[in-house]
Amino acid sequence: MSTVLSVADLRGRIAGWIGEGKVVVAPVEVGGRLLYQALSAASQAVFDARRRPANSIKEFFFPRHEPIFRYRLEGKEIVLSDVAPEEREQIVIAAKPCDAAALPILDHVFNWDFEDSFYTARRARTTVISLACAMEDDACFCTSVGSGPADEAGSDAVLYEVEGGFEGRGITEKGGGLFDRTATVRERCEDATVRSLTVAVRKGEIAKYLEGNFESPIWKDLTLACLGCGACAYTCPTCHCFDIVDEGNAAGGARVKNWDSCQFPFFTLHASGHNPRSAQPQRQRQRLFHKFLIYPQKFNAILCTGCGNCERNCPVGLGVRKVLEAIDGELRRVDEKEPVQA
Amino acid sequence: MTERLRQTVRRLLAEDKVKVVIGYGASKAGTPAPPIFVTRPEDADKLEWNDRCFANLSVYLTRKEVKALGKAAVVVKGCDERALVVLEKESQIDRSALFVIGMACDGVGAPKCAHCQVHVPRFADEVIGTQAEPPAPPNGPNGLDRLMAKSPAERWAFWTAEFSRCVKCYACRQVCPLCYCERCITDKNRPVVIDTSATPKGNFAWHITRAFHLAARCIGCGECTRACPAGIPLGLLNQSLAQATVENFGYRPGMDLAAEPVFGAWSPKDKEDFIG
Amino acid sequence: MKKNLYKPDLMEVLEVQQQTPDVKSVRVRFRDGDRGRDFSFRVGQFGQFSVFGSGEATFNICSSSNWKDYIEFCFRRTGRVTETLWQVGKGDTIGFRGPYGNGYPMEAWEGRDLIFIGGGIAMPPIRCAVWYALENRAKYGDITIVYGARTVADLTYAAELDEWSKQERVRVVRCVDPGGETPDWKGEVGLIPAVLERAAVPAQNAVALVIGPPIMIKFTLPVLDRMGLKEEDIYTSLENRMKCGVGKCGRCNAGPVYVCKDGPVFTMRQLRSIPNDF
Repeated sequence: MSTVLSVADLRGRIAGWIGEGKVVVAPVEVGGRLLYQALSAASQAVFDARRRPANSIKEFFFPRHEPIFRYRLEGKEIVLSDVAPEEREQIVIAAKPCDAAALPILDHVFNWDFEDSFYTARRARTTVISLACAMEDDACFCTSVGSGPADEAGSDAVLYEVEGGFEGRGITEKGGGLFDRTATVRERCEDATVRSLTVAVRKGEIAKYLEGNFESPIWKDLTLACLGCGACAYTCPTCHCFDIVDEGNAAGGARVKNWDSCQFPFFTLHASGHNPRSAQPQRQRQRLFHKFLIYPQKFNAILCTGCGNCERNCPVGLGVRKVLEAIDGELRRVDEKEPVQA
Repeated sequence: MTERLRQTVRRLLAEDKVKVVIGYGASKAGTPAPPIFVTRPEDADKLEWNDRCFANLSVYLTRKEVKALGKAAVVVKGCDERALVVLEKESQIDRSALFVIGMACDGVGAPKCAHCQVHVPRFADEVIGTQAEPPAPPNGPNGLDRLMAKSPAERWAFWTAEFSRCVKCYACRQVCPLCYCERCITDKNRPVVIDTSATPKGNFAWHITRAFHLAARCIGCGECTRACPAGIPLGLLNQSLAQATVENFGYRPGMDLAAEPVFGAWSPKDKEDFIG
Repeated sequence: MKKNLYKPDLMEVLEVQQQTPDVKSVRVRFRDGDRGRDFSFRVGQFGQFSVFGSGEATFNICSSSNWKDYIEFCFRRTGRVTETLWQVGKGDTIGFRGPYGNGYPMEAWEGRDLIFIGGGIAMPPIRCAVWYALENRAKYGDITIVYGARTVADLTYAAELDEWSKQERVRVVRCVDPGGETPDWKGEVGLIPAVLERAAVPAQNAVALVIGPPIMIKFTLPVLDRMGLKEEDIYTSLENRMKCGVGKCGRCNAGPVYVCKDGPVFTMRQLRSIPNDF
């Protein structure tokens, strides 16, 4: 048994959560775009299974700027103080499955040997309710990387768009507190419209290809148009590179963790002046390698959920999908010349 | 127009007049035409011309990976061409070593075209297409007028809200043909001039500094606004300074080949009696 | 509150020594005595040392892991953080996070002859291994140290080199680049690969640790090969720009290898499979 919830019903629930002092995150129309934001009013929340916010939900677990401790300079004495942790519970609602699925992927690196307690604390106090997807968009390729429009990875509960509104089902214990885990939901989502992109990614050959093609003209050919901004990395649900800097004045300040992008020219610049990745094609290669070879080798997980944000936000329309397509084309050409033995 | 463009490029490459042509490639409806770099005559067919040719391709002329390809031809709209004029005045490109293919543009849509002043490139080596009518002047208050009608407190609140979404991705900087500094002021750390953090302080400092560094140089192509993944109307900052430049110096960057740039030239007739 | 992996320990500066015109070594101890007593590391590991207000920088811990009263690091005055480190003196407080990285396999090297080869600022990461070996003298065979710098003034830990050369079964070969010698210089003159070849060090039972700029390593490897050393017996310590030091910030990887986690110590065999990305 389940109830069909209207948008008004959902917004009513959100108003209740806000009233309880929780932080509620949902897609919001702002600046001519749809962006995940912490709501100030329930009426802001947009429930549309056919659209994708231009940003991702990672910033609510791994903020773009986070002080990691403060320091006071008192003569020769230094006094360190902890940053008060955010105590409020957080609920992300109407997350795309490709955003929710990024969280278990990111869990690996933020818990690797040393626990990043800033990330894990936010993970612990956040409930993620995804909205199963019905998008038709050429930039999407979630099914090619093992995800899909109804992927439940990373979700504590899921909403499905049905006639007249939405039905919700709890998945984890946390989600069960908000939506019945035993609810029978009439699940319906158009995964036929999501293109299955690359044979290579699906068959896992992409990693092998990358391994053998570190020095290859394809990097230059494919990525000459890249201008080296951080739009892809910053809107990507799984990119997590960061910088650590001290900010303050003579009296004190804070050491902070800020988002960073491997596409910036000085990302790998040594103090000596040496830069192992001084050209954009090398930096683009790093992005592809990190996502489809290095991270999978370390954690058995592709660092990509196929959401397409990189392509949509890239000022020149690049993104990893285009590079994967080109690599897939290469592999098909090789296959045709030497058919793979069944 | 597309076929004429392809013919021109085929000829340029076949006759070895240039080594690479920077133009726009194919894209699906609703998505930007990607910049492509054509080096072989047979690849000229990859070039397209349509109302999705947003990018200002002159940005590539100062990137070292592209310069390494050799003598270039570049496809420009009227707005893009203004950047070429400024780049030449600032000694960043050698105009005589560049083949400019100008496209008569009917517009690529708001917000880029709201301030269009040049529909047909005037200084190109070859112009493709013709303009049926001169551009109509914008009617009604544009974004800048609406903004300037607000009180300073309201404007401060406006920008505080807008910059709260800035994540310091620097897409605005990287798409700008006039942000060509090899080491941007925000990348300097001895000392740190602009906090790299995406905080109110860091974001205001970045955007105001960038606007000032572009004062009397920005040619209003609107790429920064288009590129911003957070939908911040960055162009308004540049427009307000462009307006001030016209009012105080009668100067519009990139419009006149003979005009000396405001910050690049000195004249005994300058209004102020100090330098700096 | 959960442990904050990014929060450094406060360290008291005990002593600063100027090694060369642009290199200093610093001895620090934990302000928190309990932390100091509990602290241990392996030679070859590194730490993120910081000046509060300036930032963090990565340095090898160049003291022996057997010394309990302090840890030591050595730096060249090059950039933002090292410029402020240059101003640091006795009694000042700096930060330390660590130890990170894999360290040298000193246990695996037991019973072997040790050949240490280094250039310039590469002495500090060699120094800790040398002291460790000397402190466990019986476990190691002959020790040879081939160390050079551009000029005599650029040799770091010069006094310790003298001390080591007086030890049992230790041979120290010092060299400077042609033109870098002083009138009273008694060591070798020449580039390290050539000096190493001339030194004719027996290597049948040896492992080598080679640290220095890529070009030095490139020309030293053929010499080691001619000496009969196998790739799995030649070690080096890599450098790459780091921030977190614990494999999270995505900055220091060279291809599939994280210098801060899989390294910084690698064998030449491992290095062959690491792409040109550092």
